[in-house]
Amino acid sequence: MSAFKRTTVIGGLQRHSVLAPLRETQIINTKPVLPAEILSTILDYLHIQELLRFARVSKRMREMVYDDTRWVPRLQLMGCWNENEARRRAEAARRKRSETLQSLQQEATKSIGIGVNGQPNKTNGAGQPGKSNVMLFDAATEGQRGSHVNGEHPKTAVLELEDGFDTIDPTHNGRPTLYEALGASSRLKIFSQVRSLRGFARQEYGKVYGALAPFYLNAVRCENHTNAIIFRTYRDPDQQAQMLSNIARFSNSDMAQGWQQRYEKFAALISAFESAVSREFEQALDDTDVTGKMRKYAHVLVSLNGGHKGVELFISRSSIISSRYKLGNPLDCLGQQGTGTFSIEQSFTFFNNLSTAFNEQIGILDQVFPASVNTIVPFVQRVGKGVVAEYLTTLFDEAHRTNTEAYLKAVSVTCEQCLEFAKSLRPTSASGDDFYEAVDEVIVGIYEPHIDLYLQEELEFFKKNSTSEVSDWEKRLSEQDASMESMFMANVNRQADKRDFLSSFKKVVMMPVNVLPTFPMASPFGSKPATAKALVNGETLLVPDPASQASTRPSSPGVFNGTTLSTNGTTTPVSEPPTTELAAKAAIMNSRLEGIRSLFSIEVALNLVHMAKSSIERAAVFVRLGGNSAKDARLQCELIFISLLQTLGTRHIKAGFDQAVDHLSNYRPHETIDNKRSTVTPLITFLELVNVGDLIQQMIDVFYGQEMVAAKLTDRDDFLNPAVKEKKRFEQMLDERVAAGLNKGIEVLMAEVEHVCATVQKS
Amino acid sequence: MSEPQILKLMSNDNVEIPVDKDVACRSILIKNMMDDIGEQALTEAIPIPNVNEAVLNKVIEWCVHHKNDPTQTNDDDADSRKKTTDIDEWDQKFMQVDQEMLFEIILAANYLDIKALLDVGCKTVANMIKGKSPEEIRKTFNIQNDFTPEEEDQIRRENEWAEDR
Repeated sequence: MSAFKRTTVIGGLQRHSVLAPLRETQIINTKPVLPAEILSTILDYLHIQELLRFARVSKRMREMVYDDTRWVPRLQLMGCWNENEARRRAEAARRKRSETLQSLQQEATKSIGIGVNGQPNKTNGAGQPGKSNVMLFDAATEGQRGSHVNGEHPKTAVLELEDGFDTIDPTHNGRPTLYEALGASSRLKIFSQVRSLRGFARQEYGKVYGALAPFYLNAVRCENHTNAIIFRTYRDPDQQAQMLSNIARFSNSDMAQGWQQRYEKFAALISAFESAVSREFEQALDDTDVTGKMRKYAHVLVSLNGGHKGVELFISRSSIISSRYKLGNPLDCLGQQGTGTFSIEQSFTFFNNLSTAFNEQIGILDQVFPASVNTIVPFVQRVGKGVVAEYLTTLFDEAHRTNTEAYLKAVSVTCEQCLEFAKSLRPTSASGDDFYEAVDEVIVGIYEPHIDLYLQEELEFFKKNSTSEVSDWEKRLSEQDASMESMFMANVNRQADKRDFLSSFKKVVMMPVNVLPTFPMASPFGSKPATAKALVNGETLLVPDPASQASTRPSSPGVFNGTTLSTNGTTTPVSEPPTTELAAKAAIMNSRLEGIRSLFSIEVALNLVHMAKSSIERAAVFVRLGGNSAKDARLQCELIFISLLQTLGTRHIKAGFDQAVDHLSNYRPHETIDNKRSTVTPLITFLELVNVGDLIQQMIDVFYGQEMVAAKLTDRDDFLNPAVKEKKRFEQMLDERVAAGLNKGIEVLMAEVEHVCATVQKS
Repeated sequence: MSEPQILKLMSNDNVEIPVDKDVACRSILIKNMMDDIGEQALTEAIPIPNVNEAVLNKVIEWCVHHKNDPTQTNDDDADSRKKTTDIDEWDQKFMQVDQEMLFEIILAANYLDIKALLDVGCKTVANMIKGKSPEEIRKTFNIQNDFTPEEEDQIRRENEWAEDR
């Protein structure tokens, strides 16, 4: 509207009248006159009909009414104004005009002669037809107006140029295409005929208005819906629907006073029509007349308003929703193999059944609804919410109530199955490329409410278990403290043992690498890291054959509950053979280390790592869900890792080292009774302890590399990452303890040397 | 915020009209002015140079009645349809004044930047236009006809599509 601010709208600017100035003065003094922008606001409230009558008041008013800014928004409201198209057309028109101008120039030059020659020359030189031509055109119009700009568009071309809506094109100008009576069928497609043409927005709007307004106004005025002309003009329900949808679109552009009432009335008419069609559709649905009536009325609903109602009806009556209990009972998954267990097969069956039923329904949907409508996504959403979510919620609630571990397993496993299920769905022709995205979204939606609780439980479960593991160990340690003490301090000859230990220790270095991948939930890392590990250690290792090792030591039962700590492990009867390689390995390790009585145990560390691994793997399933859940899951995995480090590091290893350092500082070799033989044994023991610590640290490192980095749960290079920081801290802590221990060890050693010097050396 | 602060507005015929600050601040112009000059506005009368006493009183009357309305957000471009709600009953009565006064009120509302009042005024004018012939409109708005009869007829034919049939 800014274009009008420059011009005042004081009426009667008749430039040819001598009396004009006089009259103007009088007018202002006697009556207040509304400025242009207020008039323009007023025009906004007028009905189209009145608006155009207003255009007949004066030239200024016509300019104001005809202006594109008044009509383009209406076209936009109807969704049939394409700014790009308008720009393209405008540019094409400008090019055309500049060509016309060139010829005009030549004409002008010819007729006016040499006097004006300077101007066109300059224009040509400037090479900017748009701006400089305006000047020229201005001069030229005066003479040409009569012939080129006919009465239909008496607005001068100059003005149009200033407005920027300059599509003045002499050939188009006198178009008689304003309104012609449209046939019934062309009204149906009226919107496809609308062009985005600058300067002609009013005419384009007029086309739509002429076609649809009579029906619209009639429908709004009609007391009884069935009497509306539209239903009498069009008999076919599909055409009626199309027309109604057109008019609904058109009614968006109705912004004169009272549009709300009209809008409501029309909406009521549409909904009456819709419910009538829906009833028919429902009828057909009951008769399962898939290709006949069902298809017909589905199409009607689609042309009316996209067919949401039809899809909705179809879905709500779908057999999947109504007979969802046949697909599987969530509670079957629990307690099949004793309380607190979770049966994967049951939930798998459920998803299988669901998938079959679903694909069947999709087939019908595909037949009934036209391809332009995406019916499957709402269907998936509905099934997700109504069937899957319900099933899972019951399952989770029950599992959560009875057993945490079963719950954790249930959540993770079903999530994985859910994702599998999503893959098994057959997209229809109507579903776009974003079908799988939509499905994923639905799954995320299903798991969203559970994921927080789950991740929290997972972390707590892990923390609790790891803590209890360590406390268990500590308790046993303290029980045996006395004997331990003596054993630790006593100079038992364990040369043979030690050699044995060292070789097995080397094997243990390999252990996490060898063992971890063979856990039930296998992850795809193989022997590569193992060799890398070996190289890092700078040792050529003999990789033990786990199976044979296991068979040689079948007598270490129940590794995971830590009972093998008893020194008489070899005599304990075999309760059951170690089930996993890890178990076997740990058993071997344990027996090897039996005599050494470390202050912290690789076995405990392994158990912790194992627990962390299964926890993280469970949580990692959710990373695949993407979005917030993935972020949460990733974070939670890091937290589990951190918690692993803390439990293992602070509670287990640190305490162990502290104790060892304590022992060392209290150790007086010469004071012990039996100091004839290796008096420095505790020091060696400590070194072994350091080795074990180092081993654990390497284990953690491998674990981190494999589980966290390789699974893309965390970023190794992100030094601000809490997991990375915690790992560094862990390593640092280990180093510190070792250093402190060594210090103490050297002190003790020096004290011993002095003692020896003092006592043994003869003066 | 215990007792209402009183401002004084001075119309162009030098009449001081006391008015509650809250009421006066329905006018964005005055509100902004208050923000700019602060306390000083409370001591001196604010001149409203192009509004006379009668109109100013009328405008204040409207402001008093509407002082508890939620302030409108001014970005009506976002949805130009939203502003086209109907005039409520009180406003309709309020606008039952002669045309000169109506225009004065609109101009004052425009000057004082009272969006809602301006809208009401414009709607009232729009209602006045309804059903009037071009000639009557010209009279109402004091606009000179600068069309030849042929031109006027041309426009009518051009826009035949909008006529009720």
